[in-house]
Amino acid sequence: MGLELVENLLEVFTAEDPMAFDHPQGDPWSDFREIMRVEWKVEFKYRHVLGKYSKFFIELANHRFLATECGNCGKVWAIPRPLCPDCLHVTTWKELPGTGTLESFSVSYFVPAFMKVETPYVLAMVKLDGADTLFTHQLRNYGDLEKIKVGMPVKVAYTVEKVSHPMLLMWFEPA
Amino acid sequence: MEVMDRKRRVFVLGGGVSKFAAERADGNMRDWINEAVLEALADAGVRIEDIEHSTTSYFSDHFDKQLKAGAIFHDNIGMCPKPNVRVEGGGATGGLAIRNAYAYIMSGLCDSMIVFGAENMGRHVPSDVAQQFIALASDTDWEVQVAGFYIAYYAMMMVAHMERYGTKEEQFALVSVKNHRNAMYNPKAHYPMDITVEDVMKSRMITYPYKLLDNCLLSDGAACLIFATEEWAKKHSAYWEKKPTIEVTGTGCGTDFMRMADRPFPYPGITHFRGKRTAAEQAYRMAGVKNPREDFDCFEVHDAYSGVELVSYEDLGFCKEGESGPLAERGVFDLGGELPTNTSGGLIGFGHPVGATGLAQGVEVLRQLRQEAHPKRQVELNAKRGGMDSHGGTGTFCVVNIFERRD
Repeated sequence: MGLELVENLLEVFTAEDPMAFDHPQGDPWSDFREIMRVEWKVEFKYRHVLGKYSKFFIELANHRFLATECGNCGKVWAIPRPLCPDCLHVTTWKELPGTGTLESFSVSYFVPAFMKVETPYVLAMVKLDGADTLFTHQLRNYGDLEKIKVGMPVKVAYTVEKVSHPMLLMWFEPA
Repeated sequence: MEVMDRKRRVFVLGGGVSKFAAERADGNMRDWINEAVLEALADAGVRIEDIEHSTTSYFSDHFDKQLKAGAIFHDNIGMCPKPNVRVEGGGATGGLAIRNAYAYIMSGLCDSMIVFGAENMGRHVPSDVAQQFIALASDTDWEVQVAGFYIAYYAMMMVAHMERYGTKEEQFALVSVKNHRNAMYNPKAHYPMDITVEDVMKSRMITYPYKLLDNCLLSDGAACLIFATEEWAKKHSAYWEKKPTIEVTGTGCGTDFMRMADRPFPYPGITHFRGKRTAAEQAYRMAGVKNPREDFDCFEVHDAYSGVELVSYEDLGFCKEGESGPLAERGVFDLGGELPTNTSGGLIGFGHPVGATGLAQGVEVLRQLRQEAHPKRQVELNAKRGGMDSHGGTGTFCVVNIFERRD
């Protein structure tokens, strides 16, 4: 009998009034300061469809870098999209050479929970040759962090190892 | 877009904030909302039974694993069976909620609206899990999978700004110093602190160029605002014309591509907030603002990261591009400066419980325009106008709202 029956119980405690400075007449919630905290674990698994841009990932596995080109305005979207948002024309696939220029970067010493990457890691925005927009991916094999400079030439590199997501079939590295 | 016949006008009757803190284990979102609502009702001198409509403002269903939380907030404060609507736009959620209240009242759908918002972001989950939840507000197919998350995105924006204009880390560190200092005069603030540029520079590097103290806070907290027409207020507010009259005179909203990579390159590209310029243009045109640095007495700016505040100064038209750093060095945006910004402490000092943040900005501008702020953070009223800017994503949704005092 008692709280030991509650398997997910974390704690029971008495909370202080966090706004005592606003309550010179006393705590208006004094009857409600006993607090319980429990653990709640929720896990989901999705069978996620990678949309009409799936071919990008399929060809990454073949070491080919595809973008989409608008047949109407000619704009090449580096991150592919089946519909050109500038003129609402259906685009077509276009292979790019996979070379480009580093336009910006950041160096992270912190990783959000579900991401499997060693720190520090470099996120990069790259202007690929033949594309009109940028592409975001990690920059690896840069040697020394000091050597990373905006404007430096980079290229797409491909993995030969197993990856946890098709986006990780590639990365950028100095050209 | 020509805004509105001016037959209807929308006024801010009252506001409330339930303390922003690293952890509010004394309750949960519904409890904090109750507190903010009670304060706002008392501040406005109105009764909940007279208010016709509510708007719910919260960002993520993940932090609380509670969908349709607005239904709970709405019934907790006795609003059933009256109408409710939820507004969501990431970090801009609170700003959008204010804009929503304006739109509903201007349209005649209702004459009064209570807007409440909260977020449970503190220590409910560890900070790496919190960052994961927030990262889900970027493109999960293209950005999240390469270990993209918000500090890293904003850091790339700032590196681009530094490259283009020579902006220095010490210059955006000044924003953190100012906002933590302003928070010292706000008892509801999460992180009041008297620090130096050196403290910021020496704090732990999270993502170059942002150090720990350049970042805003994961906060718990809630906020509430009450809006109405003059006719409604005359009938239902005990304080109408007894407290200074505050009117909503401008609102603007702008957007940009979710992924920074898709934005028009090279300019404004990843250096500027294009959507913020659109939002500011609309709001300034509505309110007749010509020179923002003179036409506002205070401005709450969306300082998600210290550098974001600098870039926002430029996109809100406070200065030319690339000038924000040098102006911050001159103290232009400090208390007592030409245009004090984030007098509340902002997201860096006051805190950032996302759904409450934009509303808390509104409460701060209301307090400033009524001259009710702590004397050490009260601004001088000249233009009798205050602005607020909130955005979601990396400037993906941007909202600018303007309040004015009518004497």
